[in-house]
Amino acid sequence: MPTVVLMDVSLSMTRPVSLDGIEEFQRKNLAVHGLNMLFEHMASNYRLEFTALMAFSSLWELLVPFTRDYNALQEALSNLEDYDKTCLELALQGVSSVVQQEWGNGCPCQVVLVTDGSLGIGKGSLRHSLQTLKHRGDDKKFPLPYPFPTKMFILCVANAEELQMTDAMENLEELLRLSGGDGQIFTVDGPLCMKSVQAMFGMLIDRAYSPFHAVLHCGNLSSDVQVFPRPEPVVVDEEVEPIPRAVSTEVDEVGTGTTDELEEEPSASQMAGKSPNFCVLLHGSLKVEGMVALVQLGPEWFGMLYSQADSKKKSNLMMSLFEPGSDPLPWLGKISHLGPVSEAAENPYGEDDSKSPFPLQPQVKRSYAQNVTVWIKASGLQTDVQKILRNARKLPDKTQTFYKELNRLRKAALAFGFWELLKGVAELLERECTMLPDSAHPDAAFQLSHAAHQLKLASSGDSQYAAFDHNIVPMHTDFSS
Amino acid sequence: MKMFSVAHKTVFVVDHCPYMAESSRQQVECDVLTKSRAQGVIPLAPVSKSLWTCAVECSMEYCRILFDVYPKDKLVNYIVSDSEFHILNTWRREDQSTHELMSALAAVGPPNPREDPECCSILHGLVAAVEALCKITELQHEKRTALMDTAERVANRGRIICLTNAKSDTHVRMLEDCIQETISEQNKLAAGSDRLMAIQQCDLVLVHIYPQGEETLVSDRPKKEISPLLTSEVHSVRAGRHLASKLNILVQQHFDLASTTITNIPMKPTLNVCEQEEQHANTSANYDVELLHHRDAHIEFFKSGDLHMAGTSTRENGVKETMTLKWCTPRTNSIELHYCTGAYRISPTDVNSRPSSCLTNFLLNGRSVLLEQPRKSGSKVISHMLSSHGGEIFLHVLNSNRSTLEDPPSISEGCGGRVTDYRITDFGEFMRDNRLTPVAEASHDPSGKLPVERAKAQLERYTRYWPMIISQTTIFNMQAVVPLANLIVKEALTEEDLLTCQKTIYNLVDMERKNDPLPISTVGSRGKGPKRDEQYRIMWNELETLVKTHAGATDRHQRVLECIIACRSKPPEEEERKKRGRKREEREDRTEKNGSKEAEDKSWQESERLKGLLEKEDQESEVIKDSPDSPEPLNKKPRLISEDVQPPERAKGPATLLSMWTNRITVANSRKHQEFFGRASSVNSKFELYQHLKEENGMDAHENGKATR
Repeated sequence: MPTVVLMDVSLSMTRPVSLDGIEEFQRKNLAVHGLNMLFEHMASNYRLEFTALMAFSSLWELLVPFTRDYNALQEALSNLEDYDKTCLELALQGVSSVVQQEWGNGCPCQVVLVTDGSLGIGKGSLRHSLQTLKHRGDDKKFPLPYPFPTKMFILCVANAEELQMTDAMENLEELLRLSGGDGQIFTVDGPLCMKSVQAMFGMLIDRAYSPFHAVLHCGNLSSDVQVFPRPEPVVVDEEVEPIPRAVSTEVDEVGTGTTDELEEEPSASQMAGKSPNFCVLLHGSLKVEGMVALVQLGPEWFGMLYSQADSKKKSNLMMSLFEPGSDPLPWLGKISHLGPVSEAAENPYGEDDSKSPFPLQPQVKRSYAQNVTVWIKASGLQTDVQKILRNARKLPDKTQTFYKELNRLRKAALAFGFWELLKGVAELLERECTMLPDSAHPDAAFQLSHAAHQLKLASSGDSQYAAFDHNIVPMHTDFSS
Repeated sequence: MKMFSVAHKTVFVVDHCPYMAESSRQQVECDVLTKSRAQGVIPLAPVSKSLWTCAVECSMEYCRILFDVYPKDKLVNYIVSDSEFHILNTWRREDQSTHELMSALAAVGPPNPREDPECCSILHGLVAAVEALCKITELQHEKRTALMDTAERVANRGRIICLTNAKSDTHVRMLEDCIQETISEQNKLAAGSDRLMAIQQCDLVLVHIYPQGEETLVSDRPKKEISPLLTSEVHSVRAGRHLASKLNILVQQHFDLASTTITNIPMKPTLNVCEQEEQHANTSANYDVELLHHRDAHIEFFKSGDLHMAGTSTRENGVKETMTLKWCTPRTNSIELHYCTGAYRISPTDVNSRPSSCLTNFLLNGRSVLLEQPRKSGSKVISHMLSSHGGEIFLHVLNSNRSTLEDPPSISEGCGGRVTDYRITDFGEFMRDNRLTPVAEASHDPSGKLPVERAKAQLERYTRYWPMIISQTTIFNMQAVVPLANLIVKEALTEEDLLTCQKTIYNLVDMERKNDPLPISTVGSRGKGPKRDEQYRIMWNELETLVKTHAGATDRHQRVLECIIACRSKPPEEEERKKRGRKREEREDRTEKNGSKEAEDKSWQESERLKGLLEKEDQESEVIKDSPDSPEPLNKKPRLISEDVQPPERAKGPATLLSMWTNRITVANSRKHQEFFGRASSVNSKFELYQHLKEENGMDAHENGKATR
């Protein structure tokens, strides 16, 4: 989940803070200190996160586009300049366009807003933005909520008491609510100093940037893994019980079988490079065999592991999460009903791996996979009638097709209560009968008048002839003698 | 969509009263005469559908789309109303198919125009519909019983779609009031029943159908709340294609569907998209096909507000929109799949049109189609893919933006990444043995375990002893062990399996006797690695470890273990012979290394003495003679006095790494066999053996030679 750090560089951030009465710092220095700590943490524990740094006052500027280069981010922090007043709405708009340009609108993002809680005055202030929220045209909408899923973390280099003296806290809470509510406001606990700001950023790290460690099990084989990005809990509103589903840290490999998104990075530590690790073995074999491994992440929550190579030569073990549920991929059936091949009387994959028990076919075919009859458009009806007539002219060679098409039409006409059509087609067949050339096989005339007669009977609604499952069978004729 | 939203239960109430037999006055020419045959033939008069036929076929189309996109748990109950109500199916899952409904409709037949209109009313059906909504569905029942404490949270909502010919707006209001009243009554009844549930929300969609060319007597009305339990909306529609497109719009609204039009579909026979139709064989026109699917497949466009910008068009008075995506000539580059963010079932709008069936057949035959999103800038973005899985076609959404998963670190940079001798091939085989296959839900296992639990149990058994790298194992590098290794992991062994295991063990014994080399890794040890009999010890230990982890499973597993133990605890003389062989090797080794004559001699003397013992017992001498690896005659070596005899461990010069390793293994192994009497009762590791031989020293050389050659 990429992060945008939105750093307040308005003049109010330069307000001095007395530290232990010895040295004077600006709030900005404290904020930079905190962000440096965050970046250092990410560089060592969360290094696959893409982070962008934006600074804002009355305008905004993208200082560092999305990167994994935390040195560049720290470098940019050390070169911050001071600007004029705070205008949050524009900056939030900026975040929206920066994120969408890079990741589109389906990718969840974290926004880390670092400010001192003085949110501007007059037009362009957060207070003003929120007050005018409901009186805006479509072209001037407030940027929140963002089209992409958002986690908004607001870090105030100010303590809660200070913020509550004005309406700053209220406004920030409203902002958080507008963003979708998934996030948190952090304030400094106690007097402003390096330590208390550190503690505040520490809380952010615990909340949003702690690495996800898990154990991958395959029977008695196991491996410690770090999963990145962190699998976020999913709330499934089943109405019965909205269960927040979190990925269990004990990941069970269920077995191997024969597509959604998450990446797994086996523990990045280099120290143990030389002792064998199950993940590497699994990855190697999945890659060589071109297989995927089914993995259980929690009760009725599954995913799959496979080897993924990017365009270069590097490859790694990837984990894709399926939607929580007992049959996330319909063509695999219920996961709980996948059993070991050893139980099957005959290997469903074939002795030479030439077969597969997948995909499972649905019990009822979809409409496009069966020969359904739809006459909503006149052309549908015309096509079906013409098909019958075409075959009628080729009797007795096309007897089977003729009756097949005839019965298909008959069934649909009966279901739709379209008896007039049955009579009409009967007349058409009778006409065809009269127009048969002299060279025609005598059987053609017999079949045509038989079929016409049967259609007429069906159109009477007589239950003996109009039963849906009844089929008109070819008249038995024998011209051999 | 929530599990029990109004979309869970849909009741169709279709008017079967005499006036529905009236013609829709929309005529269909079904006798299309070709030019060559037109002469002198009077074409058949056009046929026209009745209001009933229009209502039925449009409702079937609604159901067809619904069942295509939601094959499960979006249920339809179909009711027909005339002088009484006819319920054509139930909420049960097996009743949910258009085939079932068509069959039931055929039994009902068209309305009887001669029936007394006074007796007939749509009300019978509407009352039955409310009653049907109170009936519990299988899913509701499952959820209620699965979660007793949250049973009351299983909601009961539903929708009634009434296709009728109403008389006036007042008539419509009367119908609404009647439904409202029935809901209150039925809810009271439901309160006292297990199989019924009170209705929490009911949406009435009343579609007034009137023939072409007539003025409507009923006015359209958007959705309004009649009561907290009932909402109602009225659509006044002409029969025929207007009704069809109305129901098509409704099914999209009711089930969160959206429309995508695939454009530029090449119908050239060369592309195999469509080749069956002779009359089009020479044309290369491009066709469009419209598909319906869950609207989440368009979520990117909805969110970005791009819908109008990016190739959408509005039809039918702005009610219906479709997203246009361009066909891309099929590719088989699967890399795009990795960025797939969702897959949604589709249903073609015009299912049996030729372009539709060509496209769907193409996909059902296993081909995939990438779809391109037209952009104003002219840049091409592949945003979707059509592909089928198991007879169902899915529209896949592909991520067209930058991915946060790009440039992942290589697995070789992580833990264990620099180990090079993983048993990749063996694990591949292991995975193939542990593949999964669907097991029929009905098949019951006596253990009461679900198939997936049995699969996990198998994984557990297969991995009880599974060294990950080649240098960590001997037995898995030996072809000779394969039969046993494959069988021992089984849950139960047959008598034949047991025999195979035993044969494997005997074969190993034989190999040992012949002193066949073993594929012992020399990684981590300098020099030649352990001596051959040490190798066998390692091998036996490993085999025993493997079998021990399974010995508790069954009696036969236990017998395999017993067989190993019995075979490896060889009779003492063989042990001795082996030891002697080792001594020889060791001696040679030492000669190479430090040439310590003293040590060599001592060791030689030791072997002499052991041989004496062997001679005495005189067992298996045949075998020894036959073995090409038997020690060379030693009589050419000078003899030493027996006072210098020391246990082999001490009989060395300066300790080498090799000897230290060998000692360690020997010590470890010595714990597993009975100690020699002499060694056990030694003083300062010294014990004078066979003192009587001192007197017979003269015989020694002769005896020795005889014994060995």
